[in-house]
Amino acid sequence: MRTVARGIAIALAVALAACGGASSTGTNSSNSYQGKTIQLGAILSITGAGGVYGPSSQKGMDLAVEKINGSGGVNGAKISLDTKDDASDKAQSAQVAQTLIQQGQLLALLGPTLSNSAVAVHPLAESFKIPILAVSTTGIHIVPDCNYPKTDPCKYVFRDSLGEETAIPTNIKVYSEAKHPKTGVLMVANDDKFSSDGGKIVQNTVGSYGIQLLDTVQFSKTTADFATPVTKAVQKKPDVIFITSLGGIPAKIMIEARKQGFTGQFLGGNGFNTAVVSKQAGDAGKGAESGSAWYINNTFASNAGFVQAYRAKYSADPDQFAAQGYAAILILADAAKRANLTFSDTPGDRTKLRDAMESVNIDTPLGRFQFTSNHDVKQTIWVIQMDGNGGFTLVKSVTPS
Amino acid sequence: MTQQVLNAIFIGSIYALFAVGYTLVFGVLDVLNLAHSAVFMLGAVVTYSLVALHGMPFLPAAVIAILVCGLLGLLIEFVALRPLRRRNAPPISALISTIGLALIFVAIVEQATSGSLFSWLWQDGANSVRFPTGTVPNPTFHVAGLTIEGTKLGILVISVVLMLVLGYVMRFTQVGRALRAVAENRRAATLLGINVDRIFASTLFVSSALGGLAGLLFGLALSDISPYIGRDQVELKGLAVIVLGGMGSIPGAVLGGYLLGLIEVFAFVRFGSNIEAGVAFAALFLVLVLRPQGLFGARLRERL
Repeated sequence: MRTVARGIAIALAVALAACGGASSTGTNSSNSYQGKTIQLGAILSITGAGGVYGPSSQKGMDLAVEKINGSGGVNGAKISLDTKDDASDKAQSAQVAQTLIQQGQLLALLGPTLSNSAVAVHPLAESFKIPILAVSTTGIHIVPDCNYPKTDPCKYVFRDSLGEETAIPTNIKVYSEAKHPKTGVLMVANDDKFSSDGGKIVQNTVGSYGIQLLDTVQFSKTTADFATPVTKAVQKKPDVIFITSLGGIPAKIMIEARKQGFTGQFLGGNGFNTAVVSKQAGDAGKGAESGSAWYINNTFASNAGFVQAYRAKYSADPDQFAAQGYAAILILADAAKRANLTFSDTPGDRTKLRDAMESVNIDTPLGRFQFTSNHDVKQTIWVIQMDGNGGFTLVKSVTPS
Repeated sequence: MTQQVLNAIFIGSIYALFAVGYTLVFGVLDVLNLAHSAVFMLGAVVTYSLVALHGMPFLPAAVIAILVCGLLGLLIEFVALRPLRRRNAPPISALISTIGLALIFVAIVEQATSGSLFSWLWQDGANSVRFPTGTVPNPTFHVAGLTIEGTKLGILVISVVLMLVLGYVMRFTQVGRALRAVAENRRAATLLGINVDRIFASTLFVSSALGGLAGLLFGLALSDISPYIGRDQVELKGLAVIVLGGMGSIPGAVLGGYLLGLIEVFAFVRFGSNIEAGVAFAALFLVLVLRPQGLFGARLRERL
């Protein structure tokens, strides 16, 4: 009886895997991974400052793993994902990565959540020749130059998170072309890589659109009361306040600036793109614009299906980080499917997986997804604005050139 | 600049309120209660929980939260301090055990999401939230180019009144005298018939209630409630304040709070944030070099 049941199960799994293969994007692998396990490790910030983002990434990844395993796996192989918390701490992040790598069986890593930690983790993965896919790091010098200031490309480092270098200029361009602002003040947290990178990008961009930067107000991400830096910015009476910072800080700045009578525009980057920030900002955030990798109300199938499945599983709306986490698993699954993995030679499999990742071209909740030759994101950018009620509306979509 | 002075006075009163609780415990028990910042955080979190998750009006929620924080103070005393005192452990042990409690309190909140064990208390994990709009009316006045918020003004008044009351109690009441006697000499106080254990417990209760109050006012006025508001934003500053004012001195903590607020804001406006903390701590260093006992620690033996 038992063998019969097992036989049926195997037959079903094979059939499902075949279906999965047929509906994939052209490359149909004859190789069966039946009974094998594709082991992945994720380093995420579940607690600490990055705890705003990490849990979302984790939920997106778990959902994708569940979906793929539930529909026959990758050529029959199951995906197993081992997620570890780095507490948003750079040293701890490197420590966790080291532990995961030393387990020896993992084919690829995901993460870490923060750019600040990626600086420590990515070079480590590169030196061990294990592919690592960043799912939320948007700072500069993540790809391809993970060993910055050394500029030789890191071969094993990828990211599916839209970099601030693309998102911020696109956002400024779209807003400038519509509203022609003349002056701006930049508010930037100077003790965090993500934030200060964003600040540099704003400073380098505004000139091209005729915006004069009246002042750059730097503050610490541990500032308790934002009244002081906001007063400094608002007193310059700018048309636009640019905010490049993390977590709840953009919301706090918006609330404070509106209290102090600022009526201009807020522009920012990925720091704006979570419902949590939009909700915290509330009315004060209404109209605040940012370039985003993802927009919840997109109706194309790969997003609608994701949003629906996410709501069903977690009874909550997904955010950009969940979408990027989910997309990351799809990307690795697609690459693994085409990589002719042996499951006996881990170093060889890692390199095969890396090679296959370069030619990923699939539909994800983010839209059609490919990597550039630098292993960076090539996708449509969605310029969105806060709606004042914890959500977002689409301003414009910008397709990659 | 005037606006910035107002900003400084406001943040100074939060620092002061937080530091008064800190210094009270140090003055009486001779230990630093490093769980104070976690109680500060819980003051905000419990109030938020009652208002946003359980639909209670703000005032009763605040009163309950303050009482809960007071009870947490008792928990600190009974779990982290008293057992060690019984064994004559050195003060450093008590310091470490309070750090442990602080970590537990923070972890409970940061791990709480909807559907988890503590979802009745908190559902936002590591996120920062704020009270629903309109929880407390916040008329904002614009006078002569200055922005003055109702809530911040209210907080200033509450802080000053509470600190005056506390000062009065310490100086002129039976309880205050008992507290000071215990601070002076535990054994002598016992011989005089003072129940030292009860004094310790009530000190922790009052100190933690004050910390909780400071936390909920912080959350209300700065639209920032998260598991980390205590640890990231007031813990070290609170320590700096009580060192500046003189360890164990209540007027010192008050003055130190306002002074630190002013120095920080001045440094920020004048030099920018890169050295804001640097200037504040340089001032602290200077005070320690010139007056090692702190501003109000003149007679070290007579604390409080």
